[in-house]
Amino acid sequence: MNNTIVSYLSQFESYKGLLESFSSMFGEAGPGLLTFLVFLIGCILVVTVLATIGGLGTYAERKISADMQARMGPNRVGPYGLLQFLADGVKMFLKEDLIPNKADKFIFGLAPLLALVGVFGTLAVLPFSSGFTLANLNVGVFYLIGIGSLVGVAIFLGGYASNSKWSMLGGMRGASQIISYEIPVVLSLMAIVLMSGSLNFGGLVGAQGGLPQEWFIFHNPFTFIGFFVFFIGALAETNRAPFDLPEAESELVSGYHTEYSGMRFAFFALAEYIEVFVVCGVGAAAFLGGYNVPLNLGGEGILGQVLQILVFFGKTLALYYLVIMIRWTYPRLRVDQLMTLCWKYLTPMAIFNLIGCALWIYLLDGKSVWDMLAAFVGSMGTGGGH
Amino acid sequence: MMTLTSYLMISTFLFLCGLTAVIARKNLIAVLLGIELILNASALNFVAYTRFVNNNLDGHIFPLFIIIVAAAEAAVGLAIVIRFFQIRESIHIDDATQLQS
Amino acid sequence: MDNVIFIISALLTVTGALCVLLTKNVMHACVYLLTCLLGVAGLYVTLGADFVAATQLAVYVGGVVILMVFAVMLTGGPTSQSSNKFGIVKVPMMGNAKTYIIGIISAVIFALMAYKVLSRIIISIQAGELPAFTETVEKIGFMLVTDHVLAFEISSVLLLGALVGAAIIARPRRGV
Repeated sequence: MNNTIVSYLSQFESYKGLLESFSSMFGEAGPGLLTFLVFLIGCILVVTVLATIGGLGTYAERKISADMQARMGPNRVGPYGLLQFLADGVKMFLKEDLIPNKADKFIFGLAPLLALVGVFGTLAVLPFSSGFTLANLNVGVFYLIGIGSLVGVAIFLGGYASNSKWSMLGGMRGASQIISYEIPVVLSLMAIVLMSGSLNFGGLVGAQGGLPQEWFIFHNPFTFIGFFVFFIGALAETNRAPFDLPEAESELVSGYHTEYSGMRFAFFALAEYIEVFVVCGVGAAAFLGGYNVPLNLGGEGILGQVLQILVFFGKTLALYYLVIMIRWTYPRLRVDQLMTLCWKYLTPMAIFNLIGCALWIYLLDGKSVWDMLAAFVGSMGTGGGH
Repeated sequence: MMTLTSYLMISTFLFLCGLTAVIARKNLIAVLLGIELILNASALNFVAYTRFVNNNLDGHIFPLFIIIVAAAEAAVGLAIVIRFFQIRESIHIDDATQLQS
Repeated sequence: MDNVIFIISALLTVTGALCVLLTKNVMHACVYLLTCLLGVAGLYVTLGADFVAATQLAVYVGGVVILMVFAVMLTGGPTSQSSNKFGIVKVPMMGNAKTYIIGIISAVIFALMAYKVLSRIIISIQAGELPAFTETVEKIGFMLVTDHVLAFEISSVLLLGALVGAAIIARPRRGV
């Protein structure tokens, strides 16, 4: 088990050579400095890649929606319009940075940064592969839940600081929605934690296998329901349609970021798209087998790691596609329907799943449905023989 | 740098800030903010002592219960504040005179 | 490396607490409380208490601070009026010089009292060797259901009571 990316790299000969040269160059501070450098490079890599994915998310959203509505979508900038997000970014840079006159300037400037900090903080524990996880914390799931809730604070503060009625309503809706839907999401994640007996993502993924029948989603009926509870809750927590009430265009002009312009608006948009990727990644890691490659093709070597990363990104982006498709398929809920769905349906279902999983582990030794089916078929076969 | 004394100084500072805020503020919510500071100071003390003085993990259990109590206190306290605002249209602490005989 | 984390967390904590005390705006005080709590979580990390730090993040950042901000909004925002609905002039919401002086004096008295009582104990404590805390999660989970199971159950009842009580107290009633 690799705790961090450093402990994964330290098994290679070249890293040991690098460590020795650092020790000879800087003396006592050498190993610490090298660790710091590795983490710095890893963080920069992850943040850059994820920011690009967040940018491409806006492109994918437009392209998929255009596809579903038989339009063309962006196709002018670059091949197939792929560079559209860069053009949008440049446009955002050049826009005037407006701050409303009566706004609370301190909080107005702080809110987009808080949203970005919350989202980028979650990337530290996202399991890209068995080696390339920035920090496989002991309390990874718990940490992710905690630091992810900074986004809710940011949305509320952004809505409050704008000093506009639309923003205020959007911010209050956003905060109440996020803290309500956190409960079913966390409870259905807890069921998975119970199944795997570990709070870190490495243990969570390690308890599953590469093929679909070894995933937790198909482990037993409770986790199967739990995945959908988690997915619906995650949609609501990231303010995606059909739960995009905080930025409902037809009621509130643009919700909590009505008054934001330029780069601050871009921060909010980027945070939202990366957060969608993060919750899709958590869903893929907890329910869909994570980075496990079928047939044990992934391993500790470089090639195995690349395969693992590809598998993880494949699963996550498939969920991402699903999220975008849902957005352009379903109409928006009302506020009361939203709260009814959370408190009257999803939360009881999540608690039911948690208890069901606990009973399953206690009564059936945590064997999956397929194991029992195989045992049953085997006993039938031998029983028939005698 | 990271000695027991420095942690104790930080937690003492937190506690004194919280105490001053509780006494000096006249806004009910600001008083609750001060109480949160005081609870955090005590929790920090528990963790610091368990790290530097004895080696068991009992000091990690106490902060968990303190956090639980703080969450419950915040929920009930803020519910009372909101109810008080509905009745008196003010959250000034000197307006809470209904229980006076 | 640990020292850097410690200094950053300590600065966040101290400046956050000071700003909670000194700011004139309740909303800003909530934001400063957030930074202070993040700093305390960082201090827990430097002490090797990762589970407590994660709990601090999850409960305070996700729960308590949002509740506080909500309560500020539901009670009319941070604008502090200086007279109540009967027109009687009163002490400003966020305190004035007099209340601050009283608060600081009582804090100093309390600090001196605590120092007088505790100075013997504090000086006699040796800065012992740092035990390596690894895998605190398993041990804490084990201890919660063995040694501390009574407190655990009581706290669950307390949370249930708080939930029901808060719901009943804040429920809008007709004919107030």
